[in-house]
Amino acid sequence: MFKATIDADILKSSIETLSVLVDEARFRISTEGLSVRAVDPANVAMVSFELAASAFTDFAADDCEIGMDLTKVNDIFGVAEKNEKATLELDELSQKMSIYIGGFSYTLSLLDPSTIRAEPRIPQLELPAEVVLNGKELQKAVKAAEKISDHMSLGVDGDIFYMEAEGDTDKVRLEMPRDQLIDLRSGEARSLFSLDYLSDIVKPASKSNEVTLELGKDYPIKIGFTIAEGAGKISYLLAPRIESD
Amino acid sequence: MGTDIGELLKKRQVEISELSHKVVAIDAYNMLYQFLSTIRQRDGTPLKDSRGNITSHLSGILYRMTSLMEEGIKPVFVFDGKPSHLKARTIEKRMADRESATIKWEEAKEKGLAEEAYMYAQASSKVTQEIVDDSRRLLLAMGVPWVNAPSEGEAQAAHLVKRGDANYVASQDYDSLLFGAPLVVRNLTITGKRKLPKKNIFVEVRPEIMQLEENLAELGINQSQLVDIAICIGTDYNQGLERIGPKKALKLIKEHSNIENVLLALEREIEEVQEIKNIFLNPSVTDNYTLKWKRPNTDEIIAFLCEEHDFSKERVIKACERLEAISGPEQRTLDQWF
Repeated sequence: MFKATIDADILKSSIETLSVLVDEARFRISTEGLSVRAVDPANVAMVSFELAASAFTDFAADDCEIGMDLTKVNDIFGVAEKNEKATLELDELSQKMSIYIGGFSYTLSLLDPSTIRAEPRIPQLELPAEVVLNGKELQKAVKAAEKISDHMSLGVDGDIFYMEAEGDTDKVRLEMPRDQLIDLRSGEARSLFSLDYLSDIVKPASKSNEVTLELGKDYPIKIGFTIAEGAGKISYLLAPRIESD
Repeated sequence: MGTDIGELLKKRQVEISELSHKVVAIDAYNMLYQFLSTIRQRDGTPLKDSRGNITSHLSGILYRMTSLMEEGIKPVFVFDGKPSHLKARTIEKRMADRESATIKWEEAKEKGLAEEAYMYAQASSKVTQEIVDDSRRLLLAMGVPWVNAPSEGEAQAAHLVKRGDANYVASQDYDSLLFGAPLVVRNLTITGKRKLPKKNIFVEVRPEIMQLEENLAELGINQSQLVDIAICIGTDYNQGLERIGPKKALKLIKEHSNIENVLLALEREIEEVQEIKNIFLNPSVTDNYTLKWKRPNTDEIIAFLCEEHDFSKERVIKACERLEAISGPEQRTLDQWF
């Protein structure tokens, strides 16, 4: 059983955080809320998503698992106006989700969860450095890097967090000392990431005032932020690119 | 070529993106043969330069490998070494088949039978030493590594996967499974719309993945029994038992548990059966190789293909630019941190 009402905006941005990596997702539903863990087809990036029951205006659910085509859900929520509510109701027998939004009533066929890639395990990583900054700043740096190269490095040097991209001929570097950051835990960190992935991930993160980056040396990066006033938690893990000698 | 156990095996069609960031050990002879037989002009003549040298394989390596590498696939070519003496009969037969195909191709051309001419032209393809040497030279310039097998290329390719240095063997044959390759991918370079031979029908070809363990479990047999089944049907090293196809062979091996008992029960004989089993189960392979993908040497590619083999400079430069764009720091996957 699952029936819930929520701000359409919240659900829309939730789906966006997932659809940057995958087209289909398994949603775990419980009395606590919704959660998704998914990895992109190439195994390069992973997303963990939790949306607590408190993010909903109404929420009633038993434990179950459903599969949804995110592109379809995105399309449906495209019609939503600002501050509109959406109500979702699961018909377990027919495996369909009814979505009521802005006078529309949609019936969405669900996907058999077993046909969607299984939930990945979460690697245990010890990431020495942590940087907290405004999502906008991060997105600005990624956009600047994209003009120069297809990959960029992120690192911490003493009290400075830096983002750097180097192309065949040109180079761009952005340094942010401790006082320009919300928080900094210094540690040895410098890793290189694909901008294809980074720019997709940074898009939903840019809406958050507080994005936490956890970094290591030639290690995956963890990018975390919240939505829906803290009721939604999103965490990405992106594998690095490594310079071959 | 190889053993026809295909109908017993479960295959899973996948998107090419599933192979992204994976190392694929390519059975070089198999792939070069594919290039030679499929990259041809309409009348069946292979691509040639102005001096008459065949260049179909070079075109295949440059353009199709570049496309695969753009998908994030990391290819490594595995070349055959010295064949087992047991393969002599197969090699002779292939030679005879090629010769007869060459004659039939000429005949069909004279009679104006375009379809048949094309088919015989394909069957006349031969991977010569020169083609192998040219291919190695181009791979080197493209920064693609290769491994020389002591004997069978497919056995060495399977060994790379078993050792964890590669994720898949790429071959159209099923023999890699007999050599114990845990994962095999087919149709790697012929993905897309393909014409069915002799028919005016086009089909969508997609990569297929075969998993050894899954197939063995499904069939309820072990690796050695799979080899026994292949020997019953016939391999590159022996002729099969008469009137025994894959299904019958499976039934027999399951009933009698191994080939020796099957032969006893049927009162038949296969020469050097132990030796043949040994080729598959304990193939001659080497650990002496290094796999490194390097930046392409654009000048060398252009000099080789355009100056020596009359390739269009414009197209080659474009392919080189694509290769350059994907070289650079290597994307890792999350698997290594689990």
